Amino acid sequence: MISLLPLQTSEPLIRWNYIGDQWDDIQRKLIDHIELTLISVALGLILSTTLAAIALRYHWTSGPITTISAVIYTIPSVALFGILVPYTGLSKTPAVIALTGYTFLVLVTAIISGFRSVPRAVREAADGMGLSARRRVMSVELPLALPYIMTGIRVATVTTVGLVTVASIIGQGGLGDLILDGLRRTYWTPMIVGAVLSVALALVLDLGLWLLGRAITPWARRARVR
Amino acid sequence: MNVVFPAQAAVPRDIGLWEWFSRGNTWTGEGGILSSAVDTITLCAAVMAVSVVIAVPLAALLAHHRRGEISATWTLNIGRAIPTFAIAGLLVPISLTNGYGFEPWPISIALLMLALPPIFLTTYTAVRHTDPGAIDAARAMGFTERDVLVRVELALAVGLILSGIRVAAVAVVATEPIRAFLGGDGLGRYVRDGLGQNNDTLKIGGAILVAGLAALTGLALGAVERYGLPAGARHLRQVQDTRTGETR
Repeated sequence: MISLLPLQTSEPLIRWNYIGDQWDDIQRKLIDHIELTLISVALGLILSTTLAAIALRYHWTSGPITTISAVIYTIPSVALFGILVPYTGLSKTPAVIALTGYTFLVLVTAIISGFRSVPRAVREAADGMGLSARRRVMSVELPLALPYIMTGIRVATVTTVGLVTVASIIGQGGLGDLILDGLRRTYWTPMIVGAVLSVALALVLDLGLWLLGRAITPWARRARVR
Repeated sequence: MNVVFPAQAAVPRDIGLWEWFSRGNTWTGEGGILSSAVDTITLCAAVMAVSVVIAVPLAALLAHHRRGEISATWTLNIGRAIPTFAIAGLLVPISLTNGYGFEPWPISIALLMLALPPIFLTTYTAVRHTDPGAIDAARAMGFTERDVLVRVELALAVGLILSGIRVAAVAVVATEPIRAFLGGDGLGRYVRDGLGQNNDTLKIGGAILVAGLAALTGLALGAVERYGLPAGARHLRQVQDTRTGETR
């Protein structure tokens, strides 16, 4: 079997007509990518909120919860996909499980530090005004914790966009599929398109969430000026 | 033109995990675990060495001269946004068009971009926030600026710098296996072959190897941080930890 990897190829880096011809495919991959990112971050947010709530309520659990999230975070994505696929098959499931797991560390820490940053005096004032515990959390503590949480969501989203690309190794990767497909066929255009679009997607989502964060926490900016 | 990837020795599908791990030729020979691990470790070590040589002096000098405050924030934001797989995927065609081959440049550059930000950031922060009293004392004792940087600021920062290096090294070792999917080999090859041959033993076995090496890297560098430092720096590290409230 001849097994020689070439050092050089004559295939041009980009063939512009590909983009027009394959536009539907590129678009579908891009939408898949966004979908997988949003599902994972949303699931991650729901689970992390639960975990953070437990950690904030029962202090002794915050150590183990952060440690376990940190351990999950350090598992190489290639390894996690390799372990999950035999049990779940090649579907969206292993990708979503792994990607959701990776968001825990960032989101749980962000939520916990957000709520811990609320000054005790503020909480006591809310209690003193007769707010129920539920209203105190929702209308006093949550808004104050929001800047931290929004930063966490931004980091989690951007990281997930990058990891979704890796999920292409199990065929669920959105734009990563273009990269692997191009590599298999020695056709560089899809590789370049896939890579550039996933970097661009990360930047766009980061910017979008930053703007969203500014819009929903106008007081945070005012406070910083002071 | 089509690229012919190296042929993979097929592993029987019904082989058990234990059996695979205990076969001699799983470990030795070309494509064996040992040579793949050496391959991976060499690449990661080279990437880490280059990033330390670039990031530590640069960050230390900038922080010493109180320059580039913005660079720290910028690094923090860019650093966590880098999609290594996409970057490597972008570099492979560029490298091949220019005659540099599949390896090692594309993956090395992508990993370098992953390793630089945490090292730069911890070094910058640690040097920038050196106790001003210590710096004043050193200047008063007639230390030159160079001595202040090397013997005071860097000496006091060494604990934090090492933790930055550990974080970067774990990330690099954990990410390096993507190289197997981009025309290379290394320890990620077993997961790749497992997926390609639909062999669960290879998938799981390969995953254990990859995760194990990342965990070992973290533990080994954690031990260096804990026991390898001079007593003074180690004590200081504990003080810094309690001050920043960081749990390890």
